[in-house]
Amino acid sequence: MEGETPPSRAVPTLPPTEPTADTPPPGGADALSAAHQRQFEALLAPVLGAAYGTALQMTRNPDDAEDLVQEAALLAFRGFGRFEAGTRFKAWFFKILTNVYYQSYRRRRREPELALLEDVSELYLYVQTARAGLHGAGMDPVERVLGKLDAEAITGALGTLPEEYRVAAALYFAEQFAYEEIATMLEIPVGTVRSRLHRARKLLQKALWRLAEEQGVVAALAAERK
Amino acid sequence: MAALDRYTCEDAFRRLDDYLDRELSPREVDLVREHLELCAACASEYQFEEGVIRQVREKLARLPAPEGLLSRIAASLTQMREG
Repeated sequence: MEGETPPSRAVPTLPPTEPTADTPPPGGADALSAAHQRQFEALLAPVLGAAYGTALQMTRNPDDAEDLVQEAALLAFRGFGRFEAGTRFKAWFFKILTNVYYQSYRRRRREPELALLEDVSELYLYVQTARAGLHGAGMDPVERVLGKLDAEAITGALGTLPEEYRVAAALYFAEQFAYEEIATMLEIPVGTVRSRLHRARKLLQKALWRLAEEQGVVAALAAERK
Repeated sequence: MAALDRYTCEDAFRRLDDYLDRELSPREVDLVREHLELCAACASEYQFEEGVIRQVREKLARLPAPEGLLSRIAASLTQMREG
C-alpha cells in the first residue's frame, strides 16, 4: 500500500541523529533513507539464516542460494514502503524470496518435470517399521530409526524431493509456516498446499527409510532383535 | 455425543495431516480426539506421524547464513539508495 507508514514496531530505536522513519517513503528506492535501511536490516537479520536455508533447499546450490537471498533482499527493500507495520516480516520476505526463485532462478536452472512420480503408500514409514518388528511394547520406532539419522541426512532426504514438493516441504518443515501462509507465498490454493504437503510427506518418508537402510540403521536394529 | 457424530477410522485417517498441522476446526479436533481415545490402532498411527514430523523438524539443519552475507546485502542496499 503506497504511502503507508513503514514498519515501526519491533524495531530497535533509531539513533536520534538519524532521521526517523515515521514518514513513509513516497515511493521507490529513491525515497528510502538510511533510517529505513537500518529498520530493514534489523528486521532482515533474524530471518536471514532461515531464508538462506530455504533458498538452499530451493536451489540446492550454496552460491545460488546466497545470490537468491541477496536478490530478494534488494527487491524487498525497494518495496519496503509497502510492508505493513505489525504484520510478520518473515512471511512478507519469504513471499518475495519464493517469487524471485520462481521468476528467476527456476528459469535458469529448470529441473526436469517428472511425468510420473513413483507412488508411495500411505503411512510408509509406519508400515516399514512395523514390518521390521520395531513396534514392540516400550519401543519408539520413530526415535529408533530417525533418531539415528543426522541433520545432514534429513536435509539431504528433503533435497531429493521434486521441486514443487520440496519447496512446500521446506516452508512447512523447516520454517513451520501455516498452509495459508504457504499458499500466499506460492500463489496457489490452500487445497493445493495440502495435497503437495501430503505427497511430500510420503516421498520424504520413503527417502528417509531408504537412507536408514543405506546407512545400516535398519540392519543394526534387526541385529539387536536377534 | 451421539454415535452418529463419531468419526470412523476412515474419517480420522482423512484428517490426520490437518489434525497434526492444527488446520482443523475445534469441533473436528474434538471428534478426532474422541476417536483416538477409543481406537488404539489410529492412536498409534497418529502418534507415529506426529513423531516423524517432530523428528524432521528438530533435525533439519538450521544453517547459519554465510558469514558476511548481511554486510554484503547492506552494502548493496546503500549502493542502491545512493546510486
